[in-house]
Amino acid sequence: MSRDGDAGAERGTGGPPLRAVPTTAAADAPDADALLRAVARGDERAFAGLYDLLAPRVYGLVRRVLRDPAQAEEVAQEVLVEVWRTAARFDPARGSAASWVFTIAHRRAVDRVRAEQAGADRVRRVAASSAETPYDDVVDQATTRLEQQQVRRCLKALTELQREAITLAYYGGYTYREVAELVGAALPTVKTRMRDGLIRMRDCLGVSVG
Amino acid sequence: MTGVDIHALAGAYALDALDDVERAAFRRHLAQCEACAIEVTELCETAARLADATAAAPPPQLRGRVLAEITRTRQVGPASADTGRARAGTGWRRWAAGAVAAAVLAIAASGVTYVIQEDRVRQAGQVQAVLAAPDAVVQRAPAKGGGEVAVWTSQSRAARVVMLDGLLAPDAEHAYQLWFIRDNTPTDAGTLGAGMGNGVRLLEGVSGGSLAVTLEPAGGSVAPHEPLLATVPLG
Repeated sequence: MSRDGDAGAERGTGGPPLRAVPTTAAADAPDADALLRAVARGDERAFAGLYDLLAPRVYGLVRRVLRDPAQAEEVAQEVLVEVWRTAARFDPARGSAASWVFTIAHRRAVDRVRAEQAGADRVRRVAASSAETPYDDVVDQATTRLEQQQVRRCLKALTELQREAITLAYYGGYTYREVAELVGAALPTVKTRMRDGLIRMRDCLGVSVG
Repeated sequence: MTGVDIHALAGAYALDALDDVERAAFRRHLAQCEACAIEVTELCETAARLADATAAAPPPQLRGRVLAEITRTRQVGPASADTGRARAGTGWRRWAAGAVAAAVLAIAASGVTYVIQEDRVRQAGQVQAVLAAPDAVVQRAPAKGGGEVAVWTSQSRAARVVMLDGLLAPDAEHAYQLWFIRDNTPTDAGTLGAGMGNGVRLLEGVSGGSLAVTLEPAGGSVAPHEPLLATVPLG
């Protein structure tokens, strides 16, 4: 195989070559961190800046998990107000400001989905609709933003089971038990794939903390 | 669950793919395992990056609503957060240990370990059964000063599970007490251990009304003292 062929295989989708940036949450990390520190001191203007930076991903993530735009709007509002309320709890030693915010958003969305639908019903519903493949949604929505392309590229680098386990859990809001049922794999296998898949994602994205 | 087994849950934990009981157990494990904490922090950071691929334009009216709401929302200080985090990892163990301690005091004799463990396992099993029941619904309310109170109700199990999560830990002389409130009449629904900001209680029966939390002298009071720190309506 030629050198060109290797390079083509690496980038996969024919786009420009991408390299993992060895920072967390890529380019917006310093801004979000500084803004969140100001928000913790009660700075409403800083909060507006943080909103503009992170609200598209908060709303997008919540909508991805909940699927219902009206509910997503309501939960996104709760999440963003919670960020304001608890900004002083953010600890930079434990990760970036952006990931702290997305963690709150994901948790809220998952809580909502699990509170509203009995697990077994949800699994049956999704199992019945074979068209539902969260990963394809990711691909459809991928834009030119570097971070998005990185995530997309790193997801593609996973094994199929790693990718399914991670996307069903994160974008679908399923527990690992539900994921095991959905993909027809043993519980220990799903647990392990979630962990080693995330470790591979971490290395691919160049995430480091501290 | 052994240390090795539980460590395998790091990925599922980072993806919010654990149920509440497993999540509490995992957080307890994290509090005791420095190496795991670093890995989990990195995996959580990685999982959060998955949000990058979901960016979508929020509805235009959302910005104005959020910015208006924060002007009337009080912010919490960092102190309660530290307490909440430090306590969060130990809640489940403390709840279990508290249940055992109570049983030990009540029986105070040799040869009862087996019975106590059976009781703890039975109660943990009932908690899990309520959380996993197909008809389980959850109601949540934030607690004044930080943290939240969640109540899972299963009509089919005729029971509720109350979880206090990350409340400001009281001093050793005080404890959080739960109350059923019906027709403005409070009934004692159990007291957490002194100094505990986290805990889980199984409540049998599903009568309506609301559940309230107050701070009381350790051991609990016969009637609640104001203020009500959290009130959760019971469906």
